Amino acid sequence: MRRVAIVGAGMTPFAEHFTLGIKDLLPMAFADCVRSVDKGLDKHTIQAAWFGAMGTTDGLASETLADSLGLPDLSVTRVENSCATGNDAVRNALFGVASGMVEVALVIGADKPRDTTSKDMLWRWAAMSRDMAWDYPLGMLTPAGFALHVARYLHESPATREHMAMVAVKNRRHGVNNPKALLRFEITVEQVLGAETVVTPFGAYDCAPQSDGAAALLLAAEEVVDRFTSRPVRIRGVGLGLDSVMHQHKSDMTTFPATVRAAKQAFAMAGMTPSDIDVAEVHDFLTGVELISYEDLGFVERFGAYKLIEAEVTSAGGALPVNPSGGMIAKGHPPGATGVAQCVELFEQLRGDAANQVDGAHIGLAHNIGGPTAVSAVTILEGPGAQPIRMRRVS
Amino acid sequence: MPYAASIGTYLPCWGSDRHRVPGEDEDAITLSVEAGRAALTNGGAVEKVVIVSRDLPLLESSNAAVVLAGLSLDPELEVDERLGGAPATLDALSSARPRTLIIGADIDPAGAAAVLTAERGLRVRIAARLARSLPVHTRNAVGGMHDNGDPRLLHERGLVAALDAAWVDTPAAVAGIDHARARELCRQEPAALPTTGASSGLFALAAMAEMRTSSLLVAVEQASLSGLTVVNGAARIHRREPAARPIPVGTFVAGADIPISLAAYERAFEAKVRWVAGKYADSDVLDFPPRYRVGNDGALSTRYELVPLPRTGTVYTEATVCVPVPGLHTPYSLVIVELDDVDVRALVKVTGATPGTVGIGDRGRLALRRVAVRCGVPDYGYAFEPQATA
Repeated sequence: MRRVAIVGAGMTPFAEHFTLGIKDLLPMAFADCVRSVDKGLDKHTIQAAWFGAMGTTDGLASETLADSLGLPDLSVTRVENSCATGNDAVRNALFGVASGMVEVALVIGADKPRDTTSKDMLWRWAAMSRDMAWDYPLGMLTPAGFALHVARYLHESPATREHMAMVAVKNRRHGVNNPKALLRFEITVEQVLGAETVVTPFGAYDCAPQSDGAAALLLAAEEVVDRFTSRPVRIRGVGLGLDSVMHQHKSDMTTFPATVRAAKQAFAMAGMTPSDIDVAEVHDFLTGVELISYEDLGFVERFGAYKLIEAEVTSAGGALPVNPSGGMIAKGHPPGATGVAQCVELFEQLRGDAANQVDGAHIGLAHNIGGPTAVSAVTILEGPGAQPIRMRRVS
Repeated sequence: MPYAASIGTYLPCWGSDRHRVPGEDEDAITLSVEAGRAALTNGGAVEKVVIVSRDLPLLESSNAAVVLAGLSLDPELEVDERLGGAPATLDALSSARPRTLIIGADIDPAGAAAVLTAERGLRVRIAARLARSLPVHTRNAVGGMHDNGDPRLLHERGLVAALDAAWVDTPAAVAGIDHARARELCRQEPAALPTTGASSGLFALAAMAEMRTSSLLVAVEQASLSGLTVVNGAARIHRREPAARPIPVGTFVAGADIPISLAAYERAFEAKVRWVAGKYADSDVLDFPPRYRVGNDGALSTRYELVPLPRTGTVYTEATVCVPVPGLHTPYSLVIVELDDVDVRALVKVTGATPGTVGIGDRGRLALRRVAVRCGVPDYGYAFEPQATA
């Protein structure tokens, strides 16, 4: 199997793009990606694309992408795996390039939740990942599914609502420096705890906002990497884990087994352990999810997540900064684009170009957990050169 | 001459003592099932179900399958859905054969009562029946209501004239009218009845049975009436009548038509409404919902049997949705319940409790409720009622 590297990465701002359609966001993200390719790119060099999208794409997804990029000869495969769509698209593109069938591939993810009116948002998007006869009519909104986990987690672990609030404060602080983030102002723990309740135990500031966006990565086989850059970011590990669709079938709701499975695969493939990770983009659609994920990814022992957030280990300047981009809490969550955008952030971090740069970051991890907490994808990336790790706090 | 072996009653916990209101997840069918299950508390054979109401949720299609599944009765039983008020329910009882379950259900005020007939028990016989027309209050086929606004006319030429014309004795109880008027017409202080519609006569019968009153029970609806003479004997009374409390203030955002897959509805119906799991003969595992299985060798197993699930359990986790959800009343609480004595959990809504007041570890029962109305279809399933109010 060939080694595969990311040689370009870019994205649109995540925002309520009422004036832009998918057909606009795709070329925007692609152009931003190409701009990052150090030695330039003739777009016709791309042989195949994997397009992650969960919702509507204004037509057949594959043709929409090929047409909007002006690449009628491009082979496009659509990937849909709920909130894990983006990182699963990376995984599938990796397989294509690593197998030797493709030398240069595009991974692109996009979604436009705000093309659905607010009134219809909950039912229309929930219909994509719920059992229609059993769970859907109960009003099992996506936050409610996660809330059932987090409520039990708070019951069994020492973590509290305050620890969840600290996650929101941290990620919003990180997002201030990210020009691609939707919400770029800081909040306090008191504001988080005092915000209107959405679904217990989540207040409004515990939740990611709704946003549209697209993100793109250019993947190349090791043999041709030099054509594009001398600073590639290698894909060292990928993993995809699943769990029961129905929450009543999940035996221990203080954990996301899908994440545990995905992380195990990715770390095994990379030949690494959680202690090797310097920087991570972790699924924070809701604050409590980030806490549980610290444990599922192996960053800390079971029920020890509160220690990391209390000690600011996962803040910029800490030993393991998590979501230096601001995460979904600051950027929003267009599902098809989210995982790809996480890798865009890591690409910049591992090359030393990030807005919230983690000094010396060499190994990065991207993670999503989604659907009815039933699917997770993990990607582990390695930067172009090992550097001494020196963390600094973002001013 | 029929015998009432048992009488079950049900009142929603919401509203006031004199005027119960249904929860947003209740309708005439869920009320009927509650009363019917109460009447069947000690078992007893059922060969036919008669359900009487002027508030049946489906006038086209049928409510029968939900009633039978909710009552855990054989789907091959005859169900007679009758449109009627208090007299119609007494008519159904007076002409019932043994092993008939007669249920009356009302929405405003809300309540339901059911009688199971047998060869022994509380003996009743028909005393009067009179159909007259004085349509002061009307409701048409699409629910349009009209009140012609003449309570004096209704009293004099409806109620009093009907009693005169029927030549009945002074009754011990009059169902179908408010309590103040009933007192004027009765020999002694009658029991206050919680409803005035199809269920009211059976609530009155339950009160007379408890007081061992052998006398006349009259049920009226505008200008029509039916009367029963309660002769002698005894019936078991099972009341599910929790204390009344104000219905929680909530939000309802109208205008959403919650999508439904009718094929998925039909596939799930038996397990979802009958509250049963799948079990394969060679395994003790219960699958809820029932499911096909694939063995390690790829062999497909499809022939599970349906087995009843326990209807009590403990909350494993809980979340309360506070944000307005179009098409649903908010806030609402969702819980995952660990069912007693089996390795099965169920994700259900909470009923009969203020949202947000049920917590991990709370115990309660599972009750049939209308989970949602989707594209005109009342979608029934089970909800968790915490023990404090059960």
